[in-house]
Amino acid sequence: MDHANDNSINVAVMVKLEPDLSEGNVSYNPDGTLNRSQTKNILGPHSAIACRAAMYAKTCYNAWVAVCSMGPPTAEIALKDAMAICCADELHLYSDRIFAGADTLATAETIKHGIIRMGRRIDLVFSGHRAVDGETGQTGPQTAWKLGFNFIGNVIDYSIDVERRMVRARRKVYLPSLYTVLEDVECPLPALIALDPSYKDEYRRVSERLRYARLEKEARRRVMDYKSYLRIWSAKDLGVDVRYVGLAGSPTIVYKVEKIPKVKASRRARVVDPSNLDDLREVGNLILNIALGER
Amino acid sequence: MKYQHMFVLFEHDDGNALNVSYEMLGEARRLMDGFNRKYALNEKVIAILLGHNVRELAYKAIDAGADAVILAEHEELRYPRVNLYTKVICSMVRDRMIVKQAAETTSDEYVKPRYMLFGADSIGRHISATVLAELESGLASDVNKLVIDDVMITHQYKTNGKPELYKHVLFMYRPDFSGFLWTQILCLDNKNPTIAREYSPQACSVIPGVFEPIRYDGDARKRVEEGYARIVEYKPEFSSDDLKYRIVSRQIIRDEIGLEDSRVVVAFGRGIKDDPEGNVRMIEEFASLLNAKVAISLPLSKQPFSVSSALKEKYFIPARVVGSSGKKIAPKLYIAIGISGAMHHLAGMKESDMVIAINPDPDAPIKDESDIFIQGRLEDVLPILIESIKGSERG
Repeated sequence: MDHANDNSINVAVMVKLEPDLSEGNVSYNPDGTLNRSQTKNILGPHSAIACRAAMYAKTCYNAWVAVCSMGPPTAEIALKDAMAICCADELHLYSDRIFAGADTLATAETIKHGIIRMGRRIDLVFSGHRAVDGETGQTGPQTAWKLGFNFIGNVIDYSIDVERRMVRARRKVYLPSLYTVLEDVECPLPALIALDPSYKDEYRRVSERLRYARLEKEARRRVMDYKSYLRIWSAKDLGVDVRYVGLAGSPTIVYKVEKIPKVKASRRARVVDPSNLDDLREVGNLILNIALGER
Repeated sequence: MKYQHMFVLFEHDDGNALNVSYEMLGEARRLMDGFNRKYALNEKVIAILLGHNVRELAYKAIDAGADAVILAEHEELRYPRVNLYTKVICSMVRDRMIVKQAAETTSDEYVKPRYMLFGADSIGRHISATVLAELESGLASDVNKLVIDDVMITHQYKTNGKPELYKHVLFMYRPDFSGFLWTQILCLDNKNPTIAREYSPQACSVIPGVFEPIRYDGDARKRVEEGYARIVEYKPEFSSDDLKYRIVSRQIIRDEIGLEDSRVVVAFGRGIKDDPEGNVRMIEEFASLLNAKVAISLPLSKQPFSVSSALKEKYFIPARVVGSSGKKIAPKLYIAIGISGAMHHLAGMKESDMVIAINPDPDAPIKDESDIFIQGRLEDVLPILIESIKGSERG
């Protein structure tokens, strides 16, 4: 692929290995908390959405796509899963014991260095809305800021004007206590887009659907041999200042994890035994009366 | 004193304040009152207000607990744009002269804020992240409890394994996704000499609907006139490059679910697990008999079950979540089916007039928030309720 051509679009996707919260794979402790050792890890669902957005760029704008992740060596599973979705051209894993324990700022620092060292001018970065375990939603915007890219969050649809090197996006802006706003924005590349969970990729033209099918097939072929697309970077390879990554570069620490104390009972429940059918039917009547506005 | 004051981003949509703005200012006032008693009187609550023709909101911020407001008004600031807002906010809070005008107790050594609060919503979540990336300090998200205290810390990196005293630390509590664990996040300087670094501000985004707002008597104007509270105007500067991110159009959309307006709400949780598809269909029927809207608990929005895509797209979505990170509702009747009752779920439904829970576990926390607790499996209970409701309707 010719990247000297200015009409080319180069895409990076940031993904994360996360606990699989789907039933059958997830394990909870008796107190309701996640049993991490018994729960398997996969490509996070929001990361998967970011990969779908990258596949859209590949299909419609012939984009070159690299997927990157910071994590332990096992995080290559997330990269492999990502490749299956977006037919990635390269996989980058930033894995070094020095990176461990990073908060969002130190993670963004590592990913910034990774994206700078991809060997191409990166035009567009995709990230998920938030991880299912960490759930901060901060790493995307912080990476954008460190890269000096425009940040567009809560994106549900986007298109690229390759000639003008602009991206146009539709955002879903949630304003609790007020309303939700659909906002159409436009900004120059490079930009980082964080996808809203309700992002939908629609391939409207037949040519796009055909190309998508071809890329899907190609993705399956690549996944079989994903290791040959994978590059693992150490802190030294990335050229990061070790004071700014991992635990050393994290302003925040997790000081304590505790069980949330049970709130004081504010109601006294009448307990109904469902094997007593008359009692249950009485509750049914009560429910209906309230629903009909008679109580 | 290099770091001073608690800054709060006052969030609004073209002049319509988000409730979380008042809630944050209320909490900031309480925290700062405690700080002033315990440590020093020279630190203030300062609201940051960006917008176009929003001076009225500055008075509201003062009524809600701010000592001062730094106001940046410009047509280009009418709606938030992350990069533009970040630039303005960061240059504002680093401008010693402006901060001194807002609080004359500001030290000549002032560099950056000590604390900052943002809303955990589509405005504050991203702006907090970029502002703290620019100010190079720590941020906790989705916090629902805040405490300021001193603490002894022994940490491999922060203190090189030696005990060190940290003063006026902001303890930021965030519930995890399960709602059962609370994580205390602290933003601490590196006192370890080999990586010595100061991290300020200590900042977080706050879950909307958690903290109590306070209201003074609406005498903000008088207090500003008499000099007890201050409104300082800040002239924002930006380049043409900053304005290349354009908002092309905006459209307000109605909440398509309408949980807030529903007389009866039927909510379900992980208790559907033995037959997700069949149980959701049954719950759907039950709700439609009652003309009720259907809600879910937070874990279900992560789509943990394999169900048909029709059901998944209709029900297993964040817009139906009741709880502190979803909707807060107070219907006439709330029916909780297979919901254990994590704290953040209870926060979203405890104002309901009547609560009926269906759950086989007699120790489920939802019981303490219920008026009627049907102790059984939904598969056994719902068919009978449906049958009796259908029977009554015919009669």
